[in-house]
Amino acid sequence: MAKGDEAAFEAVCVRVAAIVFGVARRVLRDPGLAEEVSQEVLLELWRCASRFRPGRGSAIAWVTTIAHRRAVDRVRSERRSAEREQRAGSHSIAYDEVVEMVEARLDRERVRRCLGSLTELQRESVTLAYYGGYTFQEAAALLGVPEGTVKTRMRDGLIRLRDCMGAE
Amino acid sequence: MMRPRRSELHTLAGAYALDAVSGADRARFERHLAGCRACARELQELREATISLAAGATEQPPSRLIERTVAAAARMPQLPPVAISPPAWAGARRWLERRGLRLSQAMTTTLRSPRTRAVRPRLALALVIIFVAATAAAGLVALKVEHQFSAVQRRDQEITQVLNAPDAVMLTARISPAGTATIVLSRHDRALVFTTEGLPLLPHGRCYELWLMGPAGERSAGMLPAAHDGMTSPVFAAGLAAADWAGLTVEPDGGTAHPTSAPILMLNLATANA
Repeated sequence: MAKGDEAAFEAVCVRVAAIVFGVARRVLRDPGLAEEVSQEVLLELWRCASRFRPGRGSAIAWVTTIAHRRAVDRVRSERRSAEREQRAGSHSIAYDEVVEMVEARLDRERVRRCLGSLTELQRESVTLAYYGGYTFQEAAALLGVPEGTVKTRMRDGLIRLRDCMGAE
Repeated sequence: MMRPRRSELHTLAGAYALDAVSGADRARFERHLAGCRACARELQELREATISLAAGATEQPPSRLIERTVAAAARMPQLPPVAISPPAWAGARRWLERRGLRLSQAMTTTLRSPRTRAVRPRLALALVIIFVAATAAAGLVALKVEHQFSAVQRRDQEITQVLNAPDAVMLTARISPAGTATIVLSRHDRALVFTTEGLPLLPHGRCYELWLMGPAGERSAGMLPAAHDGMTSPVFAAGLAAADWAGLTVEPDGGTAHPTSAPILMLNLATANA
């Protein structure tokens, strides 16, 4: 591969590595696993770059979507095998721990402020799904509310978050 | 039965955007999505909202991640480069000499052993660079732009059009003494998008000016904006003529009507025939 191409790809990596790794780390928690998934995501970017169409959304949205999907798929498969091994797969860590990690490390004031503008149930639903990697059914069980309610809160929460980020 | 099922699927958009839908539900929603334009539009908006969630999680990875990834990508096959032909190079040198401009030794070397390539499938990588540069520079403010028609948005639309042109090709070239230029151009649109990485900082009162040069004369294509993290946001230039070259010079702030210094980049856009 020519040096120029290497440099171009490296520039892309430098630019998106922190957000890709951050998403993977938040969802997977284990830094080693997060690194592994991050490399997969970046190589996917390289491989599938021709699928990207700027008109359909920003590059950052594209990258974070791939990163999150990969991380979530991985965390679910890890959880499944952990449950098989231990047969004690209670989700007792769930919400409190996720929120604690999120709140301790959210360095972007604006994101935190906007998350704060959501109702409690919206915030809990969105956070459990995005940072915890839980399905809406799992989130509903963890929060003790009907599945339909959680689905609606996730959608409303994202809309409110988007409006808040756009309004500032 | 159709209506309740549809509305039920519609409420899944938020959960889907958060990747909180799995298995059969995910497949069902994706099938629905394929035939529902409103859903696709809504999903895109919701996805944009998840950027802020991702941004809130940003964390610097160990540096070996990038090293390993670039090394792994380097093992993937590449298409062969397209070189500047000797006659084109001679033409460029004559053109410069007529204007009393001389090239630095490094620049001459670059032109003689060009690292220019026009490779269609690699185009998308340039898009990523350009758009990531643009959005990273603007930060999350990019989200706001969507809601108002502004000069920035108009520029983004022009850029997007070039990048999406069916005949769009990408060129990369070294700049002398340092830096890389990436150009995406569409002959059909007679326009190009220009971005750089690693250009040296200039002293106060000087800036980089982009030129289109050729039989149609030399035209300023605008000043490069200040770099963020070593990358300049994309510059859009229209009015591209058939035999044009792209040139870059250092000029006084505000620019000049004609180049007053030797180009630090001269790139034959005719090599960009995909």
